[in-house]
Amino acid sequence: MNLDFSQIVPYIPFMLEGIWVTLKFVFFAIIFGFILGTILALFKINHVRPLRWFADAYTSIFRGTPLILQLMIIYFAVPQLTGYDITPFLSAILAFGLNSSAYVSEIIRAGINAVDRGQTEAAIALGIPYRQRMTDIILPQAMKNILPALMNEFITLTKESALVSTIGYLDLMRRAQVVGADLYRNFEPLLFVGVLYWLMVMGLTIIGRLLERRMSVSD
Amino acid sequence: MIKVEHLTKKFGNNEVLSDISTEIKKGEVVSIIGPSGSGKSTFLRCINLLEKPTDGKIVVNNQELTDPKTNIMKAREQIGMVFQHFHLFPHLSVLDNLTYAPMKVRKESKLAAQEKAMDLLAKVGLSDKADAYPSSLSGGQKQRVAIARALAMEPELMLFDEPTSALDPEMVKEVLDVMKDLAHSGMTMAVVTHEMGFAREVADRVLFLDHGVLVEEGEPTSFFDAPKTERAASFLEKIL
Repeated sequence: MNLDFSQIVPYIPFMLEGIWVTLKFVFFAIIFGFILGTILALFKINHVRPLRWFADAYTSIFRGTPLILQLMIIYFAVPQLTGYDITPFLSAILAFGLNSSAYVSEIIRAGINAVDRGQTEAAIALGIPYRQRMTDIILPQAMKNILPALMNEFITLTKESALVSTIGYLDLMRRAQVVGADLYRNFEPLLFVGVLYWLMVMGLTIIGRLLERRMSVSD
Repeated sequence: MIKVEHLTKKFGNNEVLSDISTEIKKGEVVSIIGPSGSGKSTFLRCINLLEKPTDGKIVVNNQELTDPKTNIMKAREQIGMVFQHFHLFPHLSVLDNLTYAPMKVRKESKLAAQEKAMDLLAKVGLSDKADAYPSSLSGGQKQRVAIARALAMEPELMLFDEPTSALDPEMVKEVLDVMKDLAHSGMTMAVVTHEMGFAREVADRVLFLDHGVLVEEGEPTSFFDAPKTERAASFLEKIL
């Protein structure tokens, strides 16, 4: 056994900073993916056919190609096309958000479909218009049922975020590689950030549990 | 109050309602009865356009609902509906179930809506359940809340779609009692029901549907004691 954790001690602040860097874009990607995913889900159950086609095609493309490819296209290929020099931060939010919205839209669509049709009818009979019916009656019930599936998606996104190391973004993963290259030892820094990822996911899991408990007051 | 003219409803090629014409006057209580699959519920659901009629006209309060120019959501505010399976909003408290639509649709103030809701809950005997969630209520209590929720919109007309069919027998009476009070208060009501006692005692008129056809209509005593048609007679023979 040739393990020496004392050597990474000077690098700990540098690696810890990676938590913040990773969380920053993961947070925005989750929010962006969730909002876009909700809109896409509403398109999928809409009676206007072109909206359904659009949402289905979108999902098919973003689920049907590798995330790393989408990330590379946004970061390396888009500037070539538009001349706009996109930052790694913005590319990461875009790629992860766009990709996540495809999965989120499927989760939410299933959640909406699982709400008893009678809820919609009762709301219609009371004269409640579409928007309020969705935001106040149907979506809150759908969200409650799909919370575990959504948390799963957010956890996956948090871990997959390590892919941004491939476009030179100094996230948690990339920092472990930098430290590894500096020390010529990889095991210690990789293990260290592994624990940090695990802690972040545990945090998300706990938030999910709390939300679930809060939403079950009506049971 | 309600005028139904040549109402026809098809699901695909299956004709569930054929050429039904009738009228319900203000303050009248009408029971709609018939064997299952006769189209009673569909008929009721056509009145507030939960089902879109294939053909014919529905006029409520001099407003033609089947006219594409009618603002149907607005028109539905004056038509209350009570469902077989209650359909209370499970994530809202009883009080919020009653105040949501008045506040959001009728733009009533929170205070006014809550005051009215408490009045209505008192009327259906559930004042103590205002803060409870629907999941903690019995079937009979849920249905009474559902009736109060519909009344909170101050409708001119109430539709009941088999309101007691999903209830345990001992809870049927508490719901029927609320409906009786409502009938005596002068509310216009259309009630799809299997409760022949209610139809006979409370209704001003009975509509008998079979296979989507309005076979017979009349005043309850004569309908139950001496039905004019063969089909009504054989139906009553089976259930009474």
